[in-house]
Amino acid sequence: MICPLAHFEEVYKTDHGAVYQCSRQNCYWLDFAGGTTAFKVSDFFNFKKKVDAVDISAMIIDSSRTADFTIIMPFRTPRCFVLDINAVLNLRELLAGAKFMIELNSVVNECLNVTPDRAFRPQTTNH
Amino acid sequence: MKDLLRLKTSLNEEIEKILNEQIKVEAHSSSIYLAMSSWCDDQGYDFSADFFAKQSEEERTHMLKLFNYVNDRGGRAISPEIVNIPADFESFRGVFEQMLEQEMYVTQQFNNIADKCMKVKDFVTFQFIQWFLEEQIEEEYVARRILEMFDVIGEEGTGRWEIDKHIPKVSYEG
Ligand SMILES: [Fe+2]
Ligand SMILES: [Fe+2]
Repeated sequence: MICPLAHFEEVYKTDHGAVYQCSRQNCYWLDFAGGTTAFKVSDFFNFKKKVDAVDISAMIIDSSRTADFTIIMPFRTPRCFVLDINAVLNLRELLAGAKFMIELNSVVNECLNVTPDRAFRPQTTNH
Repeated sequence: MKDLLRLKTSLNEEIEKILNEQIKVEAHSSSIYLAMSSWCDDQGYDFSADFFAKQSEEERTHMLKLFNYVNDRGGRAISPEIVNIPADFESFRGVFEQMLEQEMYVTQQFNNIADKCMKVKDFVTFQFIQWFLEEQIEEEYVARRILEMFDVIGEEGTGRWEIDKHIPKVSYEG
């Protein structure tokens, strides 16, 4: 369940899940495989690195039953991700899309030279 | 949408990565110089052993300087894993040749970092690494000067003893 206090915006969505940003708590929510998990910004990117580092070909080649699944337990979350190959690929797609949107948002903000709401703005005079 | 990424870190992902790589290079230098110090000590080159021990310490401060910078800018500095440090070296001269090669490699790395900074327009990091680029002038100079002593004094007879004795006097005036 997503925190009821959260003020969240959609970052990226696929058929298999979604990533939301909570601008109140400054975190990302991952909605995937029937559960939602909150990540701090750096934890989110570390989690993505872990998912990207899963050796898919080793999972395919290895015929033992334990190799059908990979387990990722991100720090500071109550969640334990048990992923088969399909789930790894779906999660990768979702996280890659989310990362792209997050970075795009930074670039857009920079290009528009958006001043953060609470930052000091110089007074403009109207003529 | 609120820019959470920039609130967390001012470091571009690539810059953070390349700085972490450099942290590893500095730590590697530190370990190699410590190994060289031990070898020189074992061979009876007391002054050189001191020289390399000091170099080793300096490299560690370089590492920490980078380490703190990465963290201060909101990135995550990685404590490096150092492997493949030799315990034995071919010759007295060879040790200094290896030092020069190591320093030239470090200079090249910082040039690469400067280049990357320019490409992503990270002038803050660009400014930060100027100190290191400057430092490299001295590092390479000292290594070259010492190598020249091997030619000027010669290694025959008490030559190596003489060279060792002169090592602490080699300095860069700028
Ligand atoms: Fe250094
Ligand atoms: Fe150095």
